[in-house]
Amino acid sequence: MHWISHLTLLAQVSAEDISIELARLQRNFQFLSYGFAAAWIVLTIYVLMMVGREGRLKREIANLKAMLEERQKK
Amino acid sequence: MRDKILYGLGVLAFLILARDIYAIARFPAEANQGYAFKILFFHLPAWAAAGTAVTTALVTSVMFLVTKNFKYDATAVAATEVGVAFISVGLVTGSIWGRVIWGIWWTWDARLTSALVLWLLYAGYLMLRHAVEEPTQRATFGAVFSIFAFIDVPIVYFSIRWWRTQHPSPVFFSSTGSFPPDWSAVMLWNILAIVMLAVVIVAVRLRQEETQREIDHLRRLAHAF
Repeated sequence: MHWISHLTLLAQVSAEDISIELARLQRNFQFLSYGFAAAWIVLTIYVLMMVGREGRLKREIANLKAMLEERQKK
Repeated sequence: MRDKILYGLGVLAFLILARDIYAIARFPAEANQGYAFKILFFHLPAWAAAGTAVTTALVTSVMFLVTKNFKYDATAVAATEVGVAFISVGLVTGSIWGRVIWGIWWTWDARLTSALVLWLLYAGYLMLRHAVEEPTQRATFGAVFSIFAFIDVPIVYFSIRWWRTQHPSPVFFSSTGSFPPDWSAVMLWNILAIVMLAVVIVAVRLRQEETQREIDHLRRLAHAF
């Protein structure tokens, strides 16, 4: 008898209801993608900042070592 | 050896994440919240990673004050910086979820406000370190500030139990939660993967901090010549 109640419910749903629900799910999905994108963008920006810092530190340490070696030779 | 372990951990974290993203994409829309509910699969792990990072910062700050070993200070600053990054992820993803479910980006309830204060405190810690030149003083001020900042962590965690908030009550590790078992398993794996990723980033940041200290040492040598 369950299917009869389901059919009765389905008969009460209009095309407009379906389009409203689809629009709600679409908007919902859009914000889900914003959430995922935001999480990865924040982490990527941080990792890129770290990569930049790594390069700067390597250059700085190489320069300092070269300068100290030069001074020792003198 | 340390590098190999780090790369291994990073690769493992990404493999688990890839598998989880595939599983999350296949989950149906939640009855009340729809697809936006899936944001929580990254929101909660981000907070778990942030919690792990700031707890590490607390422990190493205490260790620094006890031992005066600068290795602990370097770990504290590395963990705090990564913690701030993950707190930012938690705040941003939570705000996007709130926009769909509550219809607002932000509300000044106890959980959200205490979480924002946490971000401000740890951002303040990082700024404080930039402001102090002398290394011992910088490390000592930093350690004391880090311990002080950690007071907000239990307030953030328990705020949804202590006060009535717009933020939902606990879903995990709580008798009131009703999370399907297969969703719980993916959530726990995602927490593990994101925490592993945070550990790798802290380790890389720690190495940079050690390099920075070596540079400072070489600078002092250069001045002595």
